[in-house]
Amino acid sequence: MKNVIDISNFIIPVLYIISFGFYFYDFMKADKKFLNSKRFFLLLTLVYHLVYLLIRTIEFDHPPITNVFEIFTVLAFAISFSYFILELVTDIRGTGPFIIIISIIFQIISSAFIPDVYQVKEVLRNHLLGVHVFSALLGYSAITISAVYGFLYLILFNDIKLNKFGLVFNRLPNLEVLERLSYISAIIGFILLSIAIIIGVIWLPSAFPHFSYIDPKLIGTSLVWILYGLGIFSKIFSKWQGKKVIHFSILGFVIAILSTIVTNFIARSFHSFY
Amino acid sequence: MNLLATSINHKTASVELREALYLNSDVIKEYIKNIKGNLFSEGLIISTCNRTEIYGIPINKNAGHLDLQNTLLQLKSVTGLTNDHFQNFSSANAIRHLFSVAAGIDSLMIGDNQIFKQVKDSFQLAEENHFAGFLMKRIFDSAVKAGKRAITETRISEGAVTVSYAAVQLIGKIFSSLNRKSALIIGAGEAGELAAKHLSEMGIGKMTITNRTLERAEKLAKILNARVLPFSDFKESLHEFDIIISATSSDNPILTKEDVLTSVKKRGYNPCVLMDIAIPRDIDPEVRNIDYAFYNDIGSLNIIVQQNLLRRKEEIPKVEKIIDEELSSFLNWYNSLEAAPAIKDLRDYFELIRAEEVDKNKNRFSAEDQEKLEIITKRIINKILHYPTVELKKFTESATNGDEAAIKISIVRELFGMNNLHSDETSKKQKES
Repeated sequence: MKNVIDISNFIIPVLYIISFGFYFYDFMKADKKFLNSKRFFLLLTLVYHLVYLLIRTIEFDHPPITNVFEIFTVLAFAISFSYFILELVTDIRGTGPFIIIISIIFQIISSAFIPDVYQVKEVLRNHLLGVHVFSALLGYSAITISAVYGFLYLILFNDIKLNKFGLVFNRLPNLEVLERLSYISAIIGFILLSIAIIIGVIWLPSAFPHFSYIDPKLIGTSLVWILYGLGIFSKIFSKWQGKKVIHFSILGFVIAILSTIVTNFIARSFHSFY
Repeated sequence: MNLLATSINHKTASVELREALYLNSDVIKEYIKNIKGNLFSEGLIISTCNRTEIYGIPINKNAGHLDLQNTLLQLKSVTGLTNDHFQNFSSANAIRHLFSVAAGIDSLMIGDNQIFKQVKDSFQLAEENHFAGFLMKRIFDSAVKAGKRAITETRISEGAVTVSYAAVQLIGKIFSSLNRKSALIIGAGEAGELAAKHLSEMGIGKMTITNRTLERAEKLAKILNARVLPFSDFKESLHEFDIIISATSSDNPILTKEDVLTSVKKRGYNPCVLMDIAIPRDIDPEVRNIDYAFYNDIGSLNIIVQQNLLRRKEEIPKVEKIIDEELSSFLNWYNSLEAAPAIKDLRDYFELIRAEEVDKNKNRFSAEDQEKLEIITKRIINKILHYPTVELKKFTESATNGDEAAIKISIVRELFGMNNLHSDETSKKQKES
C-alpha cells in the first residue's frame, strides 16, 4: 500500500492538472467540446483522491489531519469536491478553472512535502476530532469557493463598468449568478464552521488538558464565523445585494487566511500538532 | 440545369434604388402572373428591404438575364438603374447564391435570422400562386436545409448585432432572472420599440413605457402588455425600475447624474442598469461613475456589436462548407434525373431483386435447371424493362427543355423508390468510409 501512496502522490496533482486543462480549454474556446467529459474527468480525479485518502488512513492508522501537508491534500479534495457538487446543483460549468487551480496548488505542496507518519498522539485518532477537522476543512473550502466567486464578481463588475467586453465578459455567468454562487458557498461554509465550532467547544476542553478559550485558532475561526454570520444576516434581513455582500465574503476569506497563517505557523497553542 | 437569377441588393445598390424596386406581396402576385408561362415555367421571388431577387427556370432556352431584368423594369419603372446594379447568376451559381442568402452570409447584417424566414415566406407565396414547381420545391428544400444547418452547426447567428439587442444582452450579463425585474422604456420610437420587444422576448417581469406623446406610448404598451407612465412623472418613479432604456429624440439630456443618484439611494443601493441608446444622449454620461448604476451608451454598445460581427465573419468559411455540401447533394440528385443514369439505376434495381429471389429459391431446382432459371428470369426482366427504357430515352428527346424531362424521370424514380435506394447506398458507403 505504501507504494500505491507514493505513486498517488505524483498521480493526483497530474489528474487535477488534466482536469484543469479540460476546464480551461472550454473556458477559452467556449466551443463546449469537453462540456460533459471535463465533469466526468473531475469526478474520476475526486474518486481517485478519495481512495488515496482512505488508503492513507488505513496504512498510517489515522485520518490525514495530523500535519499541515495532510491537511492540504484534504483541503485540495474538499475544494474541488465542493465545486463539483455546486456545479451539479447549479449546472454552471464555466467557472471550474478558477476553483480547480486552488486544489492544484494545495495538492502540489502536499505531494511534495507530505511525510509518512505512523506514530501520532492518541487524541488525533479520535473520531470526534475527525468530524471536527473535516467539517472545519470543508467549511474553509466553501468560503474559499465563495471568495473565488466574489473575486470573479468584482472582475466582471469592473469589466462591465469599464466597457471591457473581453474573455471574462463573454465566458463568465452573469453578476447575479456569481453573487448567488458566492452566497450559497458562504452559507454552506457557515453551517460547516458552525458544526466545527460546536464540536470544538463541547468536546475539545475534555480532550485537551491545555484547552484555552483564547486560543488564536479558536478566536480566528470565531471571527470568520461571526463575519459570515453578519453577512448572511444582512443579506436576508437588510436585503443587501451586490458588491456589499461580496466585500463581506472576501473580507471573511482574508481573515480566514490570516488566521490560518498566524495559528499554524506563528502562534503555538494546544491547537498546533505539528 | 437552366436556372436564371438576378439580384439587386445592399452590395450593388443604394437604399433608394432598393426601395424603388421593393415588391410587396400584391405586386409579386401580379409579377408572377406576367412571367409565369411567358418567361419562366417556375420560379421564386424574394423581396426585402435589402434585396429583390428573382429566380426562374426559363421556358425558352435562349432567354437571358436581360429578359429577366426587363420584366422587372416593366413592372417598376426606376430611373438611374444600370447593369452594375444587378448581380446575375446561372445554374449552380444561382442555387449557391440562394443558399448563401438563406444561410444569412449574404445579408447586410451577417448571420441575420430574419432572411431565413423571409425566404420561407417568399417560397410560400410562390407556391400559393402555383409558381413553385417540382424543381423549385427541391431547390427550396435544400436552401432551407442549408440555412438550418448554418444556424445550428455554426455560430453565424450568435451574439447581438444591433444596438438595441446588444443593450438587452448586456442586461443579461448583469441580471439573471429578468422575470423578477422591472424595466422602464423612455421613448416609444423605433429604437425604444425594438429594445422593448427584445426585453419582452427575454421575459421581463414588468415593463413600463413613457413617451412625450402619450398616445404613442399607449399604442406600444398595448402591443407588449406594458404599463404607461406620463412623461412628466417618470423621474419620481425612477427608483422602482431595475432597468431603464432611454431612446428619445430629445436634444438635451433628460436624466442627470443627480436624478440617478437620488434613485439609487432610494433603491437602497441595489444595482440598476441604464442603457442610453439615443443620439444625442438622453442620460448624463457621468452616471457611469455611480457605483451601483451600470451605464452604457451607443458608443460602448457598439463595441459589443462590432465584436459579434467580427465573430460572425469568422464563421463564414464554415457556412460556405455547409453550402458546398448541400449544393453538391442537390446536384447529385439533379444529375440522377438524366435519362442514362436513370435507365442504369432502373435496370440495377430490377437486377438486384431478380438476383436476390433467384438466390433464395435456386436450391429448389436441380443444377441443370438453375442455369435455365438464371436465363429465364433475366429474359423476363429485359422484356419488362424494354418499353420503359425506350420511353425514358424519348423523354429527353421530345421534351421542350431538360427540366421537363427531369420532372418525368423523377416521377419514375419516385414510383420505384429509386431515390431511397440511392440514398441508402450512399449512407452505406459513408458508414463504411
